[in-house]
Amino acid sequence: MAKWIPLWLHKLSSPPTFYAFAGKVRPWAIALALILGVIALYGALVLAPPDYQQGDDYRIIFIHVPSAWMSLFIYAVMGVSAFIALVWRIKLAEVVAMESAPIGAAFTFITLVTGSLWGERMWGTWWTWDARLTSELVLLFLYLGVIGLYHSFEDRRQGARAAAFLAIIGIINVPIVHFSVQWWNTLHQGSTVNLFGKSHIATDMLWPLLTMMVATKAYYVASLCGRVRTDLLALEGGKDWVRKIAAAEKSR
Amino acid sequence: MNHAPLAPACAALLRRDLTLAWRQRGDIALPVLYALIVSTLFPFALGPDLALLQRIAGGAVLVTVLLAMLLALDAMFRSDIEDGSLEQLMLSPQPLAPMLGMKILAHWLTTALPLIVIAPLLASLLHLPVAVMPVLLLALLLATPLISLLGAVLVALTAGSRRSGMLLALMLLPLCVPVVIFAAGALAAAQQGLPWIAPIAWLGAALALAVVLAPLACAAALRIALDS
Repeated sequence: MAKWIPLWLHKLSSPPTFYAFAGKVRPWAIALALILGVIALYGALVLAPPDYQQGDDYRIIFIHVPSAWMSLFIYAVMGVSAFIALVWRIKLAEVVAMESAPIGAAFTFITLVTGSLWGERMWGTWWTWDARLTSELVLLFLYLGVIGLYHSFEDRRQGARAAAFLAIIGIINVPIVHFSVQWWNTLHQGSTVNLFGKSHIATDMLWPLLTMMVATKAYYVASLCGRVRTDLLALEGGKDWVRKIAAAEKSR
Repeated sequence: MNHAPLAPACAALLRRDLTLAWRQRGDIALPVLYALIVSTLFPFALGPDLALLQRIAGGAVLVTVLLAMLLALDAMFRSDIEDGSLEQLMLSPQPLAPMLGMKILAHWLTTALPLIVIAPLLASLLHLPVAVMPVLLLALLLATPLISLLGAVLVALTAGSRRSGMLLALMLLPLCVPVVIFAAGALAAAQQGLPWIAPIAWLGAALALAVVLAPLACAAALRIALDS
């Protein structure tokens, strides 16, 4: 193993260590997600001024945009951990990839629903076959395909590896979604918030958006920790450390 | 240990698969029949309006051929898994990827080629202009092997799972969306008298990429799915 990777990182990939670690992280992540989410919603719904063209209707972007970012971010996390799972056969990476998929699918679904609600008011249509909308829909199908393939195997680890392979094939869609507004002339507007360089959005509207982004990330971490813990217990059912936890639960 | 060089082994596998398919000729006719039935349903559902049918003909034939191929894809490795010959193939000393390429080629020859042969008939049922027919054939000649290759990877992934055709459709859809877009784009351009070579060139480029990569991916997927 490479020397520059600290030892605790290696230890973290063992199921019992990660189980304990995730148990400690989860409450903090939930608290962070809730607090930041409430602050962001207050900033978005009360403090931010109405838009000069769209009035109050634009406020749905405070849900829509962070969800859309998360839908791509989670796919990228899933793809990277799928790659790690296939190359180094680390059990934890398989679990992280497979448990990310339902969360990512949920964020993609929220993105599509809030987007079509907004589209109905602004474009006058719920749905249009524009490049970004279509590629986001394809992203949802990719998530569903990964989840479906995972659950169609009798053996969970085998299913996880097959689904991880599918996730890697599908990662080609992530840049297509991201750059679709630049490559094609679409109805969907280009990106307003730029990580590097100037954003085309007022500061009053920007900070709730960014706060919400951090809140969704924290929620993802919290949700992932919970799901991975459950999955690890199920996967390692016969092992000693799980028996100890079960015994401790019983004696309580 | 002596073993056959790659080329004769590939030829033997191709001959075997084609012989197997020929012994069960009825199965070859099924996707063709399915495509014919679906195409005849369009005029009933949309009404026999000539202009409307002409406009949708290209896309309808493409989607019909795609669905017919999807039906047949599921069977690509099925009998070989059931009788264990696929495992023998994986154990054989020849590299797995070119052997799987041969299997995919055999599958394309037995399912997609008949569909391409009757595609002009389907298209003329829907009154596609004769001038567009060569573009349709060219688009199908490039698009169907692409779908066979992409489909083979996904079929290999589902090889070890409980069968479900719906799952295959769900997995294939994201991958074949670009294929349909470019093929239909070429047809639409040809129908409007615009230059149609660019989307065809994209299809060709994708096919060249898939011919090289898909058998490798297919081999990797099979090793994952059947590894136990």
